[in-house]
Amino acid sequence: MIVCTVDRRQRLEFTPRESVFFHLRSGCLRAVLFALMWWILTDGAMDSWLVGTPVILFATVVSVVLLPPSSWSFLGVVQFVPFFLWRSLYGGVDVARRALHPRLPISPGLFDHRWRLPPGLPRVFMANIVSLLPGTLSAELGANCLQVHVLDERKNFLSELEKVEQRVAAMFDISLPPSRGGE
Amino acid sequence: MPSDLLSTVLLIAGGIFFLAGTLGLLRFPDVYTRLHALTKADNVGLGLVVAGLALQAESLATAGKLLLIWLLVLLAGASVAHLVAATARQRGIKLWKQ
Repeated sequence: MIVCTVDRRQRLEFTPRESVFFHLRSGCLRAVLFALMWWILTDGAMDSWLVGTPVILFATVVSVVLLPPSSWSFLGVVQFVPFFLWRSLYGGVDVARRALHPRLPISPGLFDHRWRLPPGLPRVFMANIVSLLPGTLSAELGANCLQVHVLDERKNFLSELEKVEQRVAAMFDISLPPSRGGE
Repeated sequence: MPSDLLSTVLLIAGGIFFLAGTLGLLRFPDVYTRLHALTKADNVGLGLVVAGLALQAESLATAGKLLLIWLLVLLAGASVAHLVAATARQRGIKLWKQ
C-alpha cells in the first residue's frame, strides 16, 4: 500500500543546467506544434514560410514566457483523448435526451469537489473538462474546492469527478494524494 | 459514394444536436441548466458537423483547419460557460429546484 505520495511538481526543482535543457526541450516541442498550425492555416503554401518562420519563433518565445513548461505525460494525453471524446459524446446525448423529453427530467443541485490537483493549469484544465462531461458544469473555481452544478443530483458524481481528476493528473504527470473518501 | 453517405448522416446528426441544444435553451428553467444544454449539445453537434465536413475536405490541411475550429470552440464554450455560471453565482442568482 502506498502511504506517502510525492507531488511530482515539487520535484521539478532542477539545477540551472537541467532547467535550461527542460525549457529548450519544451520550446522545441511547442515550435513544432506552432509550425504544424501554420502549415494547416496556410494550406502548406511554400512562400508563406518567409513570414511563418519568424512568427513561429516569436510565438514559441512568448508561449514559454507566459506559460512556463510543466511536466506532462505522453501516455496520459494519449489515454485521455478517447476517454474525453466518448464521455463528451455521452454528455451531449444525455442533455439532448433531457431537453427533448416531454416531462423535462432534471433535478439540479450544487456540490463541492475538494481539489487534489495542484493550483494552476491542471485545475483550470479540469474545470473546463468538467463543463463538457455528462451532467456537470463547473460553477466556481475556489481555492480548496471546485463547485459543480449538476443536472441530476440523484446520480453519483463524486466518484465520476475523482476519476476525471485522476486522468487529468496522469496527463500532467502528477501523483495525487489519496482520496479522503465520503464527504 | 460511401463517404458522401457518411457525411450526410454526420451532418444530420449534428443538426439534431444543435436543435436539441436550442430546445434546451428555451425549455430549461434557469441560467445554470441552460448552460448545460448549450455547452454539451452544441459541442457534440459541431463535432459531428466538423467530422462530416472533414470527410469532404480536399486536403489534409483543410481537415486540420476544421479540427482546429472545433478545438477552439470547445475551449471557448467551456470557458465562457464557466464564466457565466461563476458570475451568476457571485450575483446570488438562485438555482432552480423542483
